[in-house]
Amino acid sequence: MSDFDSSAAVFKSRAKKLATLMATGEERAKLWRPDELAAIFRHQMSAPMLVDLGSFDSRTATKLRTLSEAQGLLLKSFADLFHHPAPPIELLELIKDFAKANMDHPESGLPDEIAAALYYTSIAAALVRLDVRISHLPDADLQRGLRWTMEQAWLDEKTKELLAKALGKVSGGQKGAVS
Amino acid sequence: MASEPSKSSIFPRTDWAELGKAAAADEVLLDRLIRLYWQPLKIYLVATFPGLKNQADTLLQDFAEDKMLKEGWLRRADQNRGRFRDFLKTSLRNFVLNRLNLAEVKNPPISMEELEHELPQPDAPSEEFDLVWARTMLAETLRRMEVDCKNPGEDQPRRSYIWEIFRIRLLEPIFNDAAQPSYDQLIDQFGLKSPTDASNTLLSAKRIFKAHLSKVIKEYAGQDAATAAEIQALEDFLIRLAKRG
Repeated sequence: MSDFDSSAAVFKSRAKKLATLMATGEERAKLWRPDELAAIFRHQMSAPMLVDLGSFDSRTATKLRTLSEAQGLLLKSFADLFHHPAPPIELLELIKDFAKANMDHPESGLPDEIAAALYYTSIAAALVRLDVRISHLPDADLQRGLRWTMEQAWLDEKTKELLAKALGKVSGGQKGAVS
Repeated sequence: MASEPSKSSIFPRTDWAELGKAAAADEVLLDRLIRLYWQPLKIYLVATFPGLKNQADTLLQDFAEDKMLKEGWLRRADQNRGRFRDFLKTSLRNFVLNRLNLAEVKNPPISMEELEHELPQPDAPSEEFDLVWARTMLAETLRRMEVDCKNPGEDQPRRSYIWEIFRIRLLEPIFNDAAQPSYDQLIDQFGLKSPTDASNTLLSAKRIFKAHLSKVIKEYAGQDAATAAEIQALEDFLIRLAKRG
């Protein structure tokens, strides 16, 4: 392990580096690089939903399995659900709640950025595929969230397209039925 | 500050003794703070009194031992401390002015040229003072964090390499423009279980950094609200300075 003289480093550095160091104190800021977030998001999108959502409780796991099977489809991953032409709304709501729980939990293993992306993508899928609003967020907040998610470099193009369509619906005043 | 209470003192004897103990502790703290922030204070002194450059260290030494400073500091302990940096600068300026006045009395006459040479600069810019102050504060924060993390007495699993992960993943890239290692590399290097394990370790490191940052600043800022305000003020100052290039 090399010796790092932190005092020397601080005293020879310009204000920009010192400001970056002070911002380090913001806990969850910049824990992940964009390429790492891309890998985590890809993994999350392809991961079996049953593993993550089923961890809520056994009743939820059963409901989840039932909903997936009732569709006669192999809805196994988050990506399958988001890009399905008619996803079950209960599943989208489950994902939204799962994502929100992770965003609010300080000890969550899921990066905040990923949880936020899942949150807004589930809302977007409901808006675009079902014309239903599964969120009570005011329009301005929802637009902000959708826009933020779309701007993430690590997001795949297909999900960005979904978010863009949802943003168009919200911006165009199409609120959809509220679930 | 352990003077005996006068008969007219409103403080009962035992309270005065307690106050004396607290005052002594505060004096030690004040002395330590002045020595820690010696460099920015010297910069301010020389910028304000350019003619006294060669006497700066001696003046600062005397300033650190000045009784009036200690009394002023203790009075501030009862109030919202405001900006400690400003308090020190004002106190130092007044201390030096007082010294100059005494010198004038002891060694008259003094020529106008000499007097003008020693007059303080009109409110010398404090940017360099604030920058060196920020550097001193951050260097002390990192020093304490490293000592803390490497303390074998700490009863926390894996604390010894929390500093190393913090150094490799954050400090080296910030200060030495080193490439930021991936979490996969950190997993291999430190035998961690997963990228989440690695990020949680880094999160712990950030919390330790923030705790020490707050502690270092609280030593001079005092109350929690003043500490938070000082952290924000220093961050805003550095960002402003960084934007100017």
